Amino acid sequence: MEWLSAMNPAEGLQNALHWIVLFPLLGAAINGLLGKRLGRANVHLIACGAVFASFVISAIALYTVSLGGVARITEVWWRWFEIGGVPVEMALAVDRLSAVLMCVVTGVGFLIHIFSTEYMSHDEGYWRYFAYLNLFVAAMSLLVLGANLLVMFVGWEGVGLASYLLIGFWYTDDQKAYAGRKAFVVNRVGDFGFLLGIFTLVGLFGTVDFEQLRVAASGISPEAVLGGGIFSGWTMGGVITLACLLLFVGATGKSAQIPLFVWLPDAMAGPTPVSALIHAATMVTAGVYMIARLSFLYAWSPAAMATVATIGAATAIFAALMAYAQYDIKKVLAYSTVSQLGFMFIGVGVGAWWAAIYHLVTHAFFKACLFLGAGAVMHGMRDETDIRLFGGLRKEMWHTWATFGISTIAITGVLPLSGFFSKDAILHGAHANPNLFFPWVPTVTYVLGLLAALSTSFYMWRMFNLTFHGERRGMLDHHAHDGGNAMVGPLWVLSGLAVGSLVWGLPLSGGARFENFLKPIFRSAEENLARMTALGAQEMGVPVPPAPAHDFAAMLPGYLIALVVALVGFAIAWYLYLGPGKAIPAKIAQCAPALYRAFANKFYVDEFYDLVVVRPLNATARFLWRVVDSFAIDKLVVNGSAVITGWIAQIFRYFQDGNVQRYAVVMAVSAVVILWVFLG
Amino acid sequence: MGSVPLAHYLALASGLFAVGFAALLVRRNALVIFMGVELMLNAANMTFLAFSRHHQVMGGQAAAFFVIAVAAAEAAVGLAIMIALVRNRNTLNVDEVDTLKY
Repeated sequence: MEWLSAMNPAEGLQNALHWIVLFPLLGAAINGLLGKRLGRANVHLIACGAVFASFVISAIALYTVSLGGVARITEVWWRWFEIGGVPVEMALAVDRLSAVLMCVVTGVGFLIHIFSTEYMSHDEGYWRYFAYLNLFVAAMSLLVLGANLLVMFVGWEGVGLASYLLIGFWYTDDQKAYAGRKAFVVNRVGDFGFLLGIFTLVGLFGTVDFEQLRVAASGISPEAVLGGGIFSGWTMGGVITLACLLLFVGATGKSAQIPLFVWLPDAMAGPTPVSALIHAATMVTAGVYMIARLSFLYAWSPAAMATVATIGAATAIFAALMAYAQYDIKKVLAYSTVSQLGFMFIGVGVGAWWAAIYHLVTHAFFKACLFLGAGAVMHGMRDETDIRLFGGLRKEMWHTWATFGISTIAITGVLPLSGFFSKDAILHGAHANPNLFFPWVPTVTYVLGLLAALSTSFYMWRMFNLTFHGERRGMLDHHAHDGGNAMVGPLWVLSGLAVGSLVWGLPLSGGARFENFLKPIFRSAEENLARMTALGAQEMGVPVPPAPAHDFAAMLPGYLIALVVALVGFAIAWYLYLGPGKAIPAKIAQCAPALYRAFANKFYVDEFYDLVVVRPLNATARFLWRVVDSFAIDKLVVNGSAVITGWIAQIFRYFQDGNVQRYAVVMAVSAVVILWVFLG
Repeated sequence: MGSVPLAHYLALASGLFAVGFAALLVRRNALVIFMGVELMLNAANMTFLAFSRHHQVMGGQAAAFFVIAVAAAEAAVGLAIMIALVRNRNTLNVDEVDTLKY
């Protein structure tokens, strides 16, 4: 722990960054191997302590890179390997982007660990739970801190593993074990694309290091045709587009975007604090973080940017629609998460990178709070998740109601909470940033984004009203109650952060605080994007569009529209679920049953994938098993050779008749024949 | 010494070998078969010694010692087998000891 005594934190951090990863990893090892004998209190202490230690180092790192005058601290943990002349180091780096992310991961992670100590207090497998949770924090730290794509990939796979283990935490339930497998398999599809993207970048630039990539990708000309290497004959921009799209495939898997979002709603099978930490606040934002990290590459590829933004917008509205008819409190939040992740991808896709990261941070606060609130409701209502059975819980669970309400206001984008500023920063970027090569992108993403915001407001207030207001509709004999301090505390801290983080997004005259804070990170990306825009303008013969304004006056119309949209959603939800229109939802379901069923069954996406992907794969696997393996290999090749050997042996066994002297004659005759052949 | 030509030794050795091999093939008593084997071994020994002397190299003499040592070991094992045979089956006739077959 040399860094404690070091005068200069930047110097000390060069040797201490790996402790951010190591503390939770050790916690996972201790709890996983010995947890059963240590007892509850010790397991809690080790798990929470490890994450808190990581949080302290992360906070020091954030302080150092934001106020300490150091832009980037790198630690080479060890030299990993070298292949084809490309050295790969186990290197960690912290700059403003990764420091913010680390503080969110370990900070929110710590609060969720605290919450879990009470939430999991009745579970036998608590030590396994905390070991997995610590393992997740370690892997996520590696993902965020990785100074090159391969270290990031190790973390990327590590969080996938932790996610799989925690979704299937109650593995004796077949459905939950299946949900874990589904998440893992769908993520593997994305990871394959991610890996191919890394290979493409190695083939193009010969390095996986982010800093070297950034330098290599600055000042290139995208129309240049490559002369050598595996991409000989391609244009520079073409290869970058290919790499960016492949990496985005990985992002769609991890961050649950179309077409690989189907695992996230099922991931709600895990314990609710897990959903809060992994499937809302941190892991699922890894794709956004990765694209922000590589923003300098995406800036060179208008096609990849347009793809990211369009997929994000489509996911935002599609997932929001799916949340309309869900009755499971966690499923609504899951689709909401998918939808909000779509917003973040709009942000990184239109070049509003800081807004995407800002939304990532605020979303981590209010969505973690919402999920923990859902967990608190379940805790108080005997693990029931059906909002049709709730109602009027405000009176019984005052703390949960208040924090859930604050977070709902934040996520629906009502002035002046953080969600309003982060979402509108993205929407502003969507309609203000031009994409000269794909001119429809701003309109499409802005309109879809606004519709998604309207939907968000509607389904969130619908859920809030059904859960906390009106009269109790089910479980009438059960009296609900708030959790203890360990559960209420994190809820209040998170809702406080959801409110407090608005100060970073206020549209000041010099730009929002968070925007200026992240300027150094995205400077290369901005330069590349400006250069690309200039090239586009030259090609199309149009003047270079001016940089979009970010001040209050420019943002005011957008703010007003967004606020109206949020309030309209609120009003509809109030009218239909609390006000005089209570009978209308049932009537709609009755009048248009096909429409209602389509909503309730999530537009049959799972069924479609089942038909198109799962069944053919199963049929192929069955063919390989039954025909190729069982029949061709086992029966024909393996057993067949044994059977044929047996037949031949049946004939030749009669040569062994037990008469020693006949053996001697055969031996002598054979010897004579051999001598005759070789000597004669 | 030195006047007996090589061919005589070899003729004697092949004669011994033929006698031993005939005993091996035609006699039914295991003990006599064993004696035939000993004759064959010593026939081989004689060719070793004859060539060793003819070529004036000592390798053949060394080989002969090895053969004698092996023959002694073989005799010990073989006689033990025969004692076991007499005890269990009360016979040394090899025609009656042919149960190890298909």
